[in-house]
Amino acid sequence: MSLSFLHPALLWGLAAAAIPLAIHLFYRRRPRAVPFPAIDFVMQARRETERRLKLRRVLLFVARTALLAAAALAIARPRFLAPEVQAAQGPAGPAATAIVLDTSASMAYRLGGKTLLDRAREDALEALRSLGPGEPATVVVCGGDGPPRADPPTFDRVELRRRIAEAEQTHLRSDLTTCVGAAARALGDPAVTGVARRRLLVATDLTATAWRLDSPAPVVSTPAGPERPEVTLLDAARGEKLPNRWVAALVAEKEPAVGSHGYRITATVSGQEAAAASDVPLSLRVGAGKDERTAVRALLDLPASGIVKKSLAHDFASGGPAVVTAALPPDALPEDDALSLALDVPREVKALVVNGAPSAVRHRDVAFFLEAALSGPSSPVRPTVVDAEGFGKARLSDFDVVMLLDLRSPGAKGAELASFVEGGGGLFVAMGDDVDPDRYEAEMKGLLPAPLHVVKTAAERGAPGASEKAARLAEIDWDHPILRVFTGPAREGLESVRTYRYMLFKPDRKEGGARVMARYDDGAPALVEARRGRGRVVLYASTLDPDWSDWTIRTSFLPAMQRIAAWLAGGLDGRSEAPSVVGSPRSIIAPAGLRIAAILGPDGRERRDLAPLAAKEGVVVTPDRPGLWQVMVRDLATGGEKLDPALAFAVWPDPRESDTRRLESAELTAWFGGEAHARVAADGQAPEARELPLWSWLLLLAVAAFLAEGLLLV
Amino acid sequence: MTLAGKRLLDPEVLARLAGLRLRVRATAEGVLSGLHRSPHHGQSVEFSEHKEYAPGDELRHVDWKAWGKFDKYYVKRFEQETNLRAWLVVDASGSMGYRGAEGRLTKLGYACTLAGTLAHLMVRQQDAAGLAVFAGRVTNALTPRAEPSQVNAILETLEALTPGGETRIEAAVEFLAERARRRSAVMVFSDLLDRDERMIRMVADLRRRRHEVTVFHLLDPAELDFPFDDPTLFLSMEDARSVEARGRDVRRGYLELLGKWMDGLRRTCGESDVEYVLVRTDQPLDEVLVPFLARRERSAA
Repeated sequence: MSLSFLHPALLWGLAAAAIPLAIHLFYRRRPRAVPFPAIDFVMQARRETERRLKLRRVLLFVARTALLAAAALAIARPRFLAPEVQAAQGPAGPAATAIVLDTSASMAYRLGGKTLLDRAREDALEALRSLGPGEPATVVVCGGDGPPRADPPTFDRVELRRRIAEAEQTHLRSDLTTCVGAAARALGDPAVTGVARRRLLVATDLTATAWRLDSPAPVVSTPAGPERPEVTLLDAARGEKLPNRWVAALVAEKEPAVGSHGYRITATVSGQEAAAASDVPLSLRVGAGKDERTAVRALLDLPASGIVKKSLAHDFASGGPAVVTAALPPDALPEDDALSLALDVPREVKALVVNGAPSAVRHRDVAFFLEAALSGPSSPVRPTVVDAEGFGKARLSDFDVVMLLDLRSPGAKGAELASFVEGGGGLFVAMGDDVDPDRYEAEMKGLLPAPLHVVKTAAERGAPGASEKAARLAEIDWDHPILRVFTGPAREGLESVRTYRYMLFKPDRKEGGARVMARYDDGAPALVEARRGRGRVVLYASTLDPDWSDWTIRTSFLPAMQRIAAWLAGGLDGRSEAPSVVGSPRSIIAPAGLRIAAILGPDGRERRDLAPLAAKEGVVVTPDRPGLWQVMVRDLATGGEKLDPALAFAVWPDPRESDTRRLESAELTAWFGGEAHARVAADGQAPEARELPLWSWLLLLAVAAFLAEGLLLV
Repeated sequence: MTLAGKRLLDPEVLARLAGLRLRVRATAEGVLSGLHRSPHHGQSVEFSEHKEYAPGDELRHVDWKAWGKFDKYYVKRFEQETNLRAWLVVDASGSMGYRGAEGRLTKLGYACTLAGTLAHLMVRQQDAAGLAVFAGRVTNALTPRAEPSQVNAILETLEALTPGGETRIEAAVEFLAERARRRSAVMVFSDLLDRDERMIRMVADLRRRRHEVTVFHLLDPAELDFPFDDPTLFLSMEDARSVEARGRDVRRGYLELLGKWMDGLRRTCGESDVEYVLVRTDQPLDEVLVPFLARRERSAA
C-alpha cells in the first residue's frame, strides 16, 4: 500500500498546521505588569501548578496543530492504493477519462436487491469521484442501436454526475462496440490537451450480445498517433452468472377443432440456466388491461440452457381484435417473462347466398358447394341461401356479404346493392349460364370491377382432351390477403383448377381501380376485386358448380370461399402482421375515414408527436418498450377520438437482451489489446476506487482534536 | 478640623454613629471621667474586692471587720469610672498602597479613614486616642490624649502618610510593649502581609499584656477574588520580586492558599481573645464600624 493524494495541490493547506507555533513565537501576548500585594501566594500557587500547566500547554499545542493538520490533509483526500492498482494505473500523470454506462434492457436484471444498472451507476459515480482535479472526463450513456452522444471530455463534474444520475433504464439493446468507439473518438478530440493517459471505463453487465468482437477495437487518435486507451470494465454483475428464462416467441394458429374461434397458441420458452427445470408454470392470459384474465395454466419442463415449445388451445368467446399473453413467473429479468400477441379473431360473417339456378338435385344446385364450404364447423361464415324471388324480398342490411350465383341480373335490387356496398357491405358475383351481361351493366351501373362481356368456352366438358384444353389459373396474386394463406404445396390447390367456360370482361373502366387477383392462362381475368365506397366487390369469371369449372372439388375451394367471404366482410384487413420488436419502427395505416391521433404505450403514456407515413395515411412509431401498444383514431367526419382495438399491436423485447450469457474476461480484454491495456474489475470498482480512503478518519481526528482542545481550555 | 480631616471623616458615617456611645470594657484604664469603667482601684464608691495588706497600702483602706473575722489585715479595693485609652496602629507599608480598581480607596486610605473616624468618636466622648504608624519601623506616634486637638493631630499625621517600606508588625508590637504600659485598647489596621509567620502571635502577645486588641484586616476585593485571566506580571509592592503567570491558571491555587492563611489568622486570633475583623475596601465604612462599635457597647455594658 502506498499513500497518494486525490488533490495534492491542496497539500499547501498543511502550512496551516504551523499557525499555532507562529502565534506562539510571533504573537505571544506580553504580560501586563501589575503591582500586587499578595505576591507570595501567587508565587506559591504558580510553583504548585507549574508542571500541570506546562503539560496542558503542550497538549493544547499538539491538539491545535493536529486539528489544523488533519483538516488540511483531509481536504487533500489522502488514500492508500493497493500495489496492483498502482501497476494498473501505469505511468503517472493526469488522464482523460470516458465513462460508458450501459443502460440496455439486460441491465434491468436484479441481483442482490438492486438492478445491474443501479450498480453500474454507483460504479460510474465512484469512478467519477475518484478522478483528480486536473483530469477531464466525459460520459457516454449507451442504450439503443443509434450512435450515442459522446461529448469531448470536460471538467464540469456536476453535469457529468447529472448525466449518470439521470441515465434511464432502456428496454433496448445496447451496442457497446459502437459506444466505446464513440467514447474513444471523444477522447481523441483535439480540445483534450495536457493529459498523459486516456482511459475508458465501461460500466456494464458484460453480456456477450452487447459486443461485436469482429469489429476493430477502439483506438484514440492523439497528436502522437493512434493509441489504445486504458480500458477498465466495471462488472456490474461482480463476476456472477446471470441465469435467465424467457418467452422467446408466441405463435397463434387457428384450430377449428377447438371451436369456431379456436386457436392453438404456441409459446417458445428459452432458458439460460445451468440446470434443467421441471414443472415451470406457464400461463396464457387473454385480454388487456382490466379485462385481462388467465385462460390456461400449464407446466413445462425446461432443459438446461435449452428451448422448449408449449402449445395451448383456446377458444375465444367472440370474433374481433383480441390479445393473448404467454407468461412465465417473474424472474431476475422480468421484462422478457411475458410475450403478447394481438389477434383478429374472425367474426361471424352473415352471408346472403342468392341461388340463381336452383335445382332439386342437390349436387346440381349452384349453391350446393358454396353452402357446404361456408357452413363448416370452423367457418366464420353463416350462409343464408335464397332464390331470386327471395332475394327480392331480402333486407340486405341484415347481412355482411351478398353472394350472387348464376343470377340473371339483380333487377330492382341493383340500386340497393350499390348502396349496400357503398356503405361497407361485400358483394361476390359468380357467373353461370343464366347471367345476362347487358342487364348487369345496366342495373348495377358500374358496381362490378369490370363490365361483363361474353362467355368463352375453353373446352367442352367431357370431350376428349378437354382436361388438357381447359383453362388454368395463372398470374395469381399470392400477396393478396385472400390468397396469402396459400403457401408452398397449398398453392397447387389453386393452380390445378380446370376451367372449361368463363366470362370474358371488357377492358378496365377508367375509374375502376380493380385489382386482378388471378388470370387464366390466356390472360383473361379470373378473379377481380375492386373497392366501392367502404365496401368491396369480387367478381369471379366462372361458376361455383361443376358446370364450368372443377374448382369445387379442389382443396383450395373451401378456404378460398371462406376467406373471400371474410375479406368482403372486412375481416382480413391487415391482421397478419407480425409483432414488432422493441426499437424497430412500425408503420400503422389508418383505416378509411379515420386518422391516427395517438399511440398509447404499455406505460399508459400517450404519444401524439408521430411521424406521418409518406405514401399513405398513417404514422410511423418506434416502440421503446415491450407490451401491448394501442392506437387511438380520430373520425374525420365527427372529429371524435377512440381506441381502435383492431389496430393494437404487440411489441416484443429484443431477444438479444434476454440472452444473458456473459463474455469471458480474457476474450474481451484480448479484444481491447491484452492485459496491458484492459482489465475487468470484478468487484465493480475502478482502480482508482480500490483504495482505502483516509480523509474521513482525518476529519474524525480533527474533530477529536477540537474536542480535546475545548476540554483542555475548560 | 482641617479640610483633610473632614475628607477623611465621612459625614454620613459620623451622622449614623452619632447616637451610639462607645464603651469599652470595665477593665480599660482611663484618666477622664466618662462612660467607661476603669481597671484602676481607687476611692470610688463601688467596692471591688479585698486584698491582703502589704506594706505601703494606705491604712484607711484596711477593712477592720474582716480583721475581726479572720484575724488578718485586708485592704478594700474600689472600682473607679474612667476614660478609654486607645492606640490606633496603622500599617503604612508598600502593600497598603494597593487598590484593585480606579475610584476605590487604597488599603492605606481606607485604614486612615477608619482610624480617623474612631479617633474622632473617642475624643468626642472624652476618651484618649493615640496613634502609631509603622512601615518597617514605627514612623509616627502620638501618645493617647483626650483633648480635642488630638483629633487634628492624628488626622494630620494620617493625611501625610504615603505607603512604602515592608510590613513589619513586630516593630509596632515592640513599640506598644514599651510605650503602652497602662491597659489600652489596641486597634491594628493592616493587611497583615508580613513575611514573618510569627506576626499574628506577636499581636496576640499584646493581649497577654492585658490590652484589648482588635485587628482590622484590610484586603482589596482583587486580593480576595483574584480577577486576573490573562498573562500578568505580578510585581511585589514591597521589594523587587515579580512573577509572571496566567491569572486563570493560578487563581484556584491562589484562592486556596489565601483561604488557608485567613483561616489561620482567624483561628489564632480567636484562641488569643483578639478580635478579628475582615474588611473589604469596597465595603461601606459604616458596615465595618457600626457592628464593631455595637459589639464594644455590648461588651462594656
